[in-house]
Amino acid sequence: MLQIEAWRPTVTRTPARAVNPLVPDPFERLFLEEYPKVVAIAYRVLGDRSAAEDVAQEVFIKFHRSLSPDSERAAGWLHSAAVHSALNVIRGERRRAQREIAHALDPAQTPAANPERLVEEAAVRQEVRQALRKLPQRTAALLMLRYSGLSYAEVATALGMKVGNVGTLLRRAEEALRKEVNRATPE
Amino acid sequence: MRHLSDGTLRRIYDEPLALTSVDQAHYDSCAECKARFESIGNTARATAGLLSVPGFTPEPAAALRSVQVRIRREEAARPPRWYERWLGRTSPRWRPIATPAIAVLLAAALLTGVTATGAAQTLLRVFEPKTITPVQVSSSDFASTSALLDYGEVKWLPDAPTLHQLSDATAAAAESGLPVLMPASLPKGVSGPVSFGVVSHATGSLTFDAERLRASAAQKGVHVNPMPASINGSKLIVNAGPALVEAWGLSASTSETQMPTLVIGQTRVPTVDSTGATAAELEDYLLSQPGVPPDIAAQIKAIKDPSSTLPIPIPKGLATTEPVQVNGVPGLLIKSVLGAGVVWQSNGVIYAVGGQLTPDQVLAIATSLH
Repeated sequence: MLQIEAWRPTVTRTPARAVNPLVPDPFERLFLEEYPKVVAIAYRVLGDRSAAEDVAQEVFIKFHRSLSPDSERAAGWLHSAAVHSALNVIRGERRRAQREIAHALDPAQTPAANPERLVEEAAVRQEVRQALRKLPQRTAALLMLRYSGLSYAEVATALGMKVGNVGTLLRRAEEALRKEVNRATPE
Repeated sequence: MRHLSDGTLRRIYDEPLALTSVDQAHYDSCAECKARFESIGNTARATAGLLSVPGFTPEPAAALRSVQVRIRREEAARPPRWYERWLGRTSPRWRPIATPAIAVLLAAALLTGVTATGAAQTLLRVFEPKTITPVQVSSSDFASTSALLDYGEVKWLPDAPTLHQLSDATAAAAESGLPVLMPASLPKGVSGPVSFGVVSHATGSLTFDAERLRASAAQKGVHVNPMPASINGSKLIVNAGPALVEAWGLSASTSETQMPTLVIGQTRVPTVDSTGATAAELEDYLLSQPGVPPDIAAQIKAIKDPSSTLPIPIPKGLATTEPVQVNGVPGLLIKSVLGAGVVWQSNGVIYAVGGQLTPDQVLAIATSLH
């Protein structure tokens, strides 16, 4: 049987009722539709809720300055801006590990988990993020968009590629990440 | 048949329905593709594990409020755009002089409403510009005229005019009802996308009220001549806009103060109707009020037919004017160190072209608009 569950994001999606066709302002409508995806992308890259929310809000403010909310390019622009902004953050970020471990231990986030295991997981994520920093930006962006739950069509739009090429490039990106992680943590 | 590519196998791991029926038939009967799919699936599962993050629930409504606060703060802090500065400068500071020819250029489709109620017969057209004339002004003329007097009740139907910025020509034409005009060619130094500004059509009225004027003058401590009975109680109805402005040389960035390199503007000729006072009575009275510099009053009085002449303010010493012809229609060419402009009127529309250009360039653009 084909596996289709593994890629699903762990960010809980806002239910569809948030997308209210009665919201008259186009920017508000776009925001309510796209914010969950934009913040999910940033969060997948950063692993830090507060930093992801900062990046998502910054992306929408930049969007407001540059594009009309009715533009056909709106969603693709937002997804692309989210992943590139978040990747730029990890490329310059040095205090990520401490913040992430603190986040992992926040009882509000994970009430019943084992603290030692959470710290270990946060350390693994930190290593993965270091590996991501070493990948070409486009390769890292492709991985993060896809693993944030975007469809192949959405990934293709955000990165300006043909939808038929997404599978091939994704497969290569996964191999590249695996090699980079193995190189960083030799057995 | 050829085996399925890695990309196809990777995609069907995520999106199984993307597999065509031909590919599906091959996959079902091909042990090698199944083995490769298994391996690709394992990598995908491992990657999902590596990239997993703890769950959290986004809060779009709270985030939206926060973003809106920041946007409002940015909008308030940014320097006004060139046309906003122009509008801001035009309305309050010019009101003393504007009051006469404009109590004239003051307020605008109330007329439509009045016509509909059958009251239009009693209206007297006091202003409908057919010609254009320069009026020399200097900034010091307005330095002492900060006391804005309340001449009476101002009403807008349905609302005061608003400015709407657009980036799309079709939308700008649809909203303004005016055709988007383009020059045959752009001179050197003018490039980039065009921004559009549409000022909505508006109708407003001013009902002169001697008592209100007296009270506001007393409050501000200025002396005013008492309002004649022929003016008191009469109503001016101003019908203005829509207007369409096209500007080149403005980038999308709002953080910098910018001057456009080329502006093409057009507006339907504004009209002012009065329910009682005549143009001459209004002019005599309003030009005699405090705050109207005597030389400007003299220049306006010198206009032969004030009810059909649009005065164009020209900064004294900074710009000169000369009459020109634009496609056979008389116009006014304005020359300054910073650039040039030309204003003319044709078929009920006032046109203006200006920018950081030479007079020849401005005239070439004006005559080639289509």
